Amino acid sequence: MATIHDEIDAWLTADLHGELSNTEQSALHAHLLDCTACRKTHQEIKTMNKILEETLAQQKPDPAFEQRMLGGFRNRVPQRSGLVKLLVDLMRLRAVQITAVAAVLLGLVQIGRMITGEPATAPRERERYVGEQFAAQPSQFPASRAAQSGALAKSDEVAAGRPQDLALKEPPPPAPAQSKDEGRGGAEVERTIVTGSNIPTAAEEAAQAQVHEPAPALANRKLIRNATVELEIVSFDAAVPKITAFASEEHGYIATTDSEKQANGKLRGQVVVKVLPENLDRFLQKIRSLGELKNQTLGTEDVTKAYFDTDARLKNAHVMEQRLIDMLKTKTGKVSDLLQVEKELGRVREEIEKMQGELKYWDSQVQFATVTISLAEKDMEEPAAFLLKERAQLALYAPDVEKIYNEIKSLASPKVQITNAQLNHDYSGRVSAQVSMLIAPEESDGVIGRVKAFGRVENFQTQVQRIAQGGTGISENARTKRDKVELNIAISREEQEQAFQQTSLRIRTSSVNEKAKELRAVAEKQGGRIRSSTFSSDPNGREVASVSLRVPVKNYPALMQSLDSLGKVENVSVQRQDRTDAQIDEANAPADVSIQVYSQGNIVTEDSGLLATLRRTLAQSAGAIMWSLRMIGVAVAFLAPWVIALVALVWIARRVIRARQSRS
Amino acid sequence: MDPSEREQYQAAIHGDREAFEMIIRTHSRTLFAIAYGILQNREEAEDVVQDSLVKAWKTRWRVRDPEKFPAWLATITRHRAHDTFRRRRTVPLSEQLAEPVDPVPADTAALDQQLNSALAALPELHRTALTLRYFEEMDYRTIENTLGLTNGALRGILGRALGSMRKQLRPALASMD
Repeated sequence: MATIHDEIDAWLTADLHGELSNTEQSALHAHLLDCTACRKTHQEIKTMNKILEETLAQQKPDPAFEQRMLGGFRNRVPQRSGLVKLLVDLMRLRAVQITAVAAVLLGLVQIGRMITGEPATAPRERERYVGEQFAAQPSQFPASRAAQSGALAKSDEVAAGRPQDLALKEPPPPAPAQSKDEGRGGAEVERTIVTGSNIPTAAEEAAQAQVHEPAPALANRKLIRNATVELEIVSFDAAVPKITAFASEEHGYIATTDSEKQANGKLRGQVVVKVLPENLDRFLQKIRSLGELKNQTLGTEDVTKAYFDTDARLKNAHVMEQRLIDMLKTKTGKVSDLLQVEKELGRVREEIEKMQGELKYWDSQVQFATVTISLAEKDMEEPAAFLLKERAQLALYAPDVEKIYNEIKSLASPKVQITNAQLNHDYSGRVSAQVSMLIAPEESDGVIGRVKAFGRVENFQTQVQRIAQGGTGISENARTKRDKVELNIAISREEQEQAFQQTSLRIRTSSVNEKAKELRAVAEKQGGRIRSSTFSSDPNGREVASVSLRVPVKNYPALMQSLDSLGKVENVSVQRQDRTDAQIDEANAPADVSIQVYSQGNIVTEDSGLLATLRRTLAQSAGAIMWSLRMIGVAVAFLAPWVIALVALVWIARRVIRARQSRS
Repeated sequence: MDPSEREQYQAAIHGDREAFEMIIRTHSRTLFAIAYGILQNREEAEDVVQDSLVKAWKTRWRVRDPEKFPAWLATITRHRAHDTFRRRRTVPLSEQLAEPVDPVPADTAALDQQLNSALAALPELHRTALTLRYFEEMDYRTIENTLGLTNGALRGILGRALGSMRKQLRPALASMD
């Protein structure tokens, strides 16, 4: 056991650091009284401790250290990604999951409310905003607003007599409102829109009184006024000189004009006029005498604040520029500093130019008001002409498609133009053709008639369309023209035609093969065509021949009679399609007949008896065994990898556990 | 460890940024002391603490037991400080230490230099224990926890540290008395 003397350094240090218990302290002091060497050490340790305290205190981090650490951390770990991680981490907690689900549900409910329409907040806010404005100018506001719109609406009568009233009809907002608006933002826009409204005369009369109030001083305000007017006039060419005259009367000028001629000969155009702002209202009144007013917008943009801000900044920039120039003149300091000054000077000058340009632009905008007049002649939308477009679809059945296709193609002439001709042979030997042509209107009826005669018409459709050109609606004096007729012809072989009548029957006979041959002969005699025939015989001696053929309806009764001579006719069923809505050449329409000629086979089948049953049973059981074997294979393939993986896992786990046990 | 502290560590591990920032406020000085003990350079130590905090935030999910969070922070800082130390090994140690922090009278400067070289000669653990004690005036128990030492081991460490320094600086100490 170590004594105090052996570990005197540790004891003394702990004593100085106040980490000794009372008994330890007294033991140490007792030892120090006895031992001179340790007393000396005590002295040294004390000094050492003092030096360390003093020196290391200098190295201590300063008070702003934590703040720096925090700042650095925030810089290097942006809040957002942290938030995402936080969310991810939070989502692991069950309570948070439940809360999140609840929040999602609540959110859905809120969205549903919003969709179904409970817009409680937005309108209320707007009301409050309007209310503020009313409060700002309690007595004037409603009246002057009414006066403005009233004056504009009825100005046709009012304007002629008293133009000086109208010069005041849109006074800039009074002082209290202005200061408010200045606080809110740089520029304000006040707008009055009139679309041919008719405000009652009483309101207008009341408003007139308010209009006479003197307008507040305009002198220091920078207002950009502009207006757009939409007019419907009788003649564009007559209106432009009038506008020019009005503009020069009001000390303005025409900035641009452009016009565009429509297909129906009507003109549409736009004239941009610059007039002195104080004359703007009078000018607008005059303009309105030109035609019917469709729409008018009058806007005033107050750029006072922005203007004077820029002005003040410009002055500051000038001072700055002068200071920089002075610095360059004295030319003291390093070259790099001078370069810096030069660079700064360049930047300041650029800024000055930019601001000067801005001010100039505003000056020019303020000096003249811009009026954009859109002019449209009356009946702008009237169509110039009508076009009759005829389109016909024709479907034909023909015995020889190719021949008819060529015949139709030979109809081509300058007045009958074939735009598309197509002959299709498909892999099963079916032939069809399609021809599209454009026919001059006077030829169309003749050509269509001739095409119809080439085959049996399955379907014929015509469609006439009247197309207005250069406008919409109706017009009394527009011409109507017939356009070329578009004819689309589809030709297909008769075989593809659906039969008019379908018959099926069975004939029982003893010699099937012979009778089938006889049947073919009979059919050909009656002008029928065999469409398909099959012959089969089964092990029991049963023979069946199926023949399907097509004859014209007129030969059908004769065919049926001759069939009787072949054998016993059974199971006759006839299906006829009477198309009442169509006119059909019934004598030539196709009738399908399908005939089954059969003989009765052996009464007892070969595949019966004890042996046959035994054989079948064995075969079936062998099949069952093979099937179960296959299923076992599938099950093994399905399970084996998992079993192997599991066994391997268990083996590794046991090895690990054993290794741990042996280590401990 | 009291429950509220434990909760704070738990929250920080779960990604609560505010809790982590609180830990930065309370623990960064300790971490600085550890880093300074290894590097003996304030700027480097500060950078190391900064890096360690960012790394700790990014890998906080590795801590299973919230109680071990402070010790884990200390370990990260120690490793980072070692990395920094290794990287600058080419630069002679004395050169860095010789730079005086601010102008001081000649004899004091000489003493400072002696003290610094005596500090540099100490084992790293001793130096770290010293900085923790003298920067933050932590009690022995806390220092032992922070450095992962067994109960009572610190007394011997600090004793040996002061003892060896006292022997090295004996002439200077004698003159001071």
